[in-house]
Amino acid sequence: MGSAELLQYVVAGFKSGAIYALVALGFTLVYGSTGIINFAQGEFFMLGGVLSVFYYRLGLPLLLAALAGVVTTAGVGLAFERLALRPRRDAGALVLIIITIGGSMVMKSLTRHIFGPDEATLPEFTPGPSIAFGGVAIERQALWLWGLTIVAVLALTWLYRKTRFGRAMRACSLSHDAARLMGIDTARVVMVSFGLAAALGALAGLAVTPLTQTAWDVGATAGMKGFAAAILGGLGNPVASVIGGLVLGLLESLSVAFLSSTYKDAIALIVLLIVLFLRPQGLIGRARREKV
Amino acid sequence: MKRTRVILVLLTIVALLWALGCAGKPGEDESSLPEASAEPYRIGVVISLSGTYAGLGGPEQKAIDMEVARINAEGGVNGHPIEIVYEDDATDAAKAQAAVVRLIDEVGVIAVLGASGTGQTMAMRADIERAGVPQISMAGGSAVTAQLSEWVFQTPWPNRIVVPFVLKAMAADGYKNIAVISDTGGYGVDGHDVIVKSAADAGVTIVADETYNPGDADMTAQLTKMRGANPDAVLVWAAGKEAATIAKNARQLNMTQPIYGGSGIARLEFISGAGEAAEGVKLGTGKILVPEAYGEGTEEYEVATSFIDRYTEEYGEAPDIFAGHAYDAFGLVVDALGRVEGEATPAALRDAIEATDGWIGVGGTFSYSAEDHNGLTEDDLVMYVIEGGTWKLAE
Amino acid sequence: MKRSMGVAAWMALVAVIGAVPLLTDDRYLLKVLVFVGINVIIVSGLALLFGYAGQISLGHAAFVGIGAYASAYVTSGLGLPWLVGVLAGTTLAAIGGLLLAMPSLRLRGHYLAMATLGFNEIMYVIFREARAVTGGNDGLSGIPFPEVLGVRMDTPASIYLLVWGTALVVVFLVANIVRGRPGRAMRGLHGSEIGALACGVDVARLKIRTFAVSAGLAGLAGTLYAHAVGFVAPSTFSLEQSVVLLAIVVVGGTGSLAGPVIASIALTLLPYADALIPGLGKDVIAFLQDWEADIYGIAMIVVVVLAPKGIGGLIRAARSRSRAEETG
Repeated sequence: MGSAELLQYVVAGFKSGAIYALVALGFTLVYGSTGIINFAQGEFFMLGGVLSVFYYRLGLPLLLAALAGVVTTAGVGLAFERLALRPRRDAGALVLIIITIGGSMVMKSLTRHIFGPDEATLPEFTPGPSIAFGGVAIERQALWLWGLTIVAVLALTWLYRKTRFGRAMRACSLSHDAARLMGIDTARVVMVSFGLAAALGALAGLAVTPLTQTAWDVGATAGMKGFAAAILGGLGNPVASVIGGLVLGLLESLSVAFLSSTYKDAIALIVLLIVLFLRPQGLIGRARREKV
Repeated sequence: MKRTRVILVLLTIVALLWALGCAGKPGEDESSLPEASAEPYRIGVVISLSGTYAGLGGPEQKAIDMEVARINAEGGVNGHPIEIVYEDDATDAAKAQAAVVRLIDEVGVIAVLGASGTGQTMAMRADIERAGVPQISMAGGSAVTAQLSEWVFQTPWPNRIVVPFVLKAMAADGYKNIAVISDTGGYGVDGHDVIVKSAADAGVTIVADETYNPGDADMTAQLTKMRGANPDAVLVWAAGKEAATIAKNARQLNMTQPIYGGSGIARLEFISGAGEAAEGVKLGTGKILVPEAYGEGTEEYEVATSFIDRYTEEYGEAPDIFAGHAYDAFGLVVDALGRVEGEATPAALRDAIEATDGWIGVGGTFSYSAEDHNGLTEDDLVMYVIEGGTWKLAE
Repeated sequence: MKRSMGVAAWMALVAVIGAVPLLTDDRYLLKVLVFVGINVIIVSGLALLFGYAGQISLGHAAFVGIGAYASAYVTSGLGLPWLVGVLAGTTLAAIGGLLLAMPSLRLRGHYLAMATLGFNEIMYVIFREARAVTGGNDGLSGIPFPEVLGVRMDTPASIYLLVWGTALVVVFLVANIVRGRPGRAMRGLHGSEIGALACGVDVARLKIRTFAVSAGLAGLAGTLYAHAVGFVAPSTFSLEQSVVLLAIVVVGGTGSLAGPVIASIALTLLPYADALIPGLGKDVIAFLQDWEADIYGIAMIVVVVLAPKGIGGLIRAARSRSRAEETG
């Protein structure tokens, strides 16, 4: 295998990895402020693509359609938090997990009822042949994915570190009671983080659509891979989630190169289980309190 | 004390259920017909209207509905109108089995059409054989008729006919070394087996053999590996949206090799999904995509265009291949019913179906025999090339 | 007084279940009831795990699959007797549960959910790819009917009795576990792990055992499924199925066995409502079938938000209310 070919596998891995990373960031955002895993995150990814396609087919220009898709999905995220999660926000992790599982079932199935079972696509953001770079072909859409990932992780880090709201989120992640005592409106923080997570998932979903098409049933796979990435890197830390996504993508790509493509998914899952069992805080993350 | 009350309630419920269950004998199905001069022929249809294969069941139901209306308006078969009872298996094997039991034992159908999927079709077999009711499946899996049952027939072109046809076309185009990528779902695995088995006979060599999972977002890694093997052409044996991703990934990797495929990519969604990358892709499947393939003026051409025109007029969209499979399944039963002498029992109907010889449908010209319950041959297939966003006959 | 009432209740239940095949020979109804009985067995085990031990599992469909494939292979592949197949399937699933539970010990809540979810997906890949044993995507057909001591259970009534007989035994055993010492210890676990530890409960052991028992029951149900349906394919044991099972237990309620059993009967019957209510229009069934996922999802959310104790909680509330009326 030449070095150009090896590099091509790396590029391929990082392309899938960027998708996983963007979904993982959504998990991290919600976990960061609530301490729970949002099993509906994959459906936000799906909604972003399906809704953008819907708006695009209505005749909106691509940019506006994408924006409308993201905003609508964020609205769904906000409504879901407000209607389903807030009434039980002081319940244990088990209860909240179940609500998000129920939510994901409903979102997925309703999407099929409303938008139909067939797949649909969006045009590439910047159409054209791939860019040759030292014998390696790089898709233009992949550049968009990487760009979005970088912007998202920078924005989130800034949000966490530099803004009042980010500090409030971090306070919530440590203890809702303490945060409340400090005068933080925890309900608002949780709701906003859900809206942001939904928007982020939608952004990922619509950015992938020109490459893979989208349909009502794409959420489960995306959610699983994104969660694996988040666990792999370390939940709650944006940079760790992105690294987790890239590592997972690379792992899959290299397992195609050196092992067998048939067991590619199983390999990713086995790595996930090993990390879960041996180092549940992730490769980079620190052990943290868990909501019981 | 309370427990007794709970039990009393339970007892009452169960008693009610029995009462309802015992009353639940067939007979009052809703779709009775205007000129029902004779007892209608009841035919059961098990298709996937929900679940993974929901996209298949819809067009299948539309095609059958349209044909039933036409036949009944013409006075039915042998003076009997036809009554269809639909069951949705929700793409689930257990539901398909329960559905067929209901159709056979409660409704009392003389034939079963379906299911949409191979797994659901196979799950029905034990009850089909127990009751001795003929079944015509609209699922394309080789297992349906390769594991021969005297009661089970099939309308789509199975992989064991399509794969050698496409492989020979590749060889004839001068491509001897081929790279294969298939999905790990039913269609891909089934096709992959046939590809490996029939490559040598068709005169091609497999130089790379990759798979992917339904739901995968990117196949660049597999294609990179295939590119490294320097194939003359790429064969994509896939169903679903990932096929379009493969075509796009291959073009983005600057792979110039021609891409080939089968029935799995004979969908408009493949063309719209792959866009530019679909241009030049060749695929082998039945002739319904471009009716000229039947040969203008032939009876095959008339049958197909009549079906396509009526379907398009009725539903405002052209029929896809699944609608065609359902048209054929229903048509084969109607044709066989017309040839049954005396009472149309399921057994007599089965014999008549097996005796089908040269019945012209949309999928091709069907001739069943005791050994062949698929009835189609490579003559019913044709190669297409995608050009200008639509299918054209490849010369 | 109370004890004799309990015995009477069980006997009445046995009589009711036993009487069904005498009163109807409707194959469709019996077949649907067989599916219900199988789900009752799975859900009983899951109720033990979720409702009493407070452990989540998104991998129970995989255990059902292990039982189904193991039994199918042992009987139709190796030609061994049916009982051997049932034993093999149940044991294998229980061992699988043990192996998954041991490393998962440190995990709670969403980590456990994710580990079991990952397990289900891995098993799904194995069911699909280990074609020599499982038949791959096309599935495995021609699985023989159950046969004990030369008696072949090939009629719908006999399969119905076999499945429901097993279900009764399972529910009885689980009810005893729940009422006995292990049940009390489990409830402690649900409340507070540290509290349970302080009371001298070997939490680790209890968790692992509960998980293994629960997985074993799912495996047992799987063996019954394989021989009752005669056909198994991977899609029956997918993650979606695990989610559906979890939804049933959630709707049934925590800390209750009757609740989940009732929920499994009601929700399994939902898409087959026409088996019980013959006059029901086709459109209603089609609607129920098409909207099944929505109904499950909404039911889950509504129950958790509005009636967190589920059906079991409602039963208890009704019971204590009428008790209060009696005494007061």
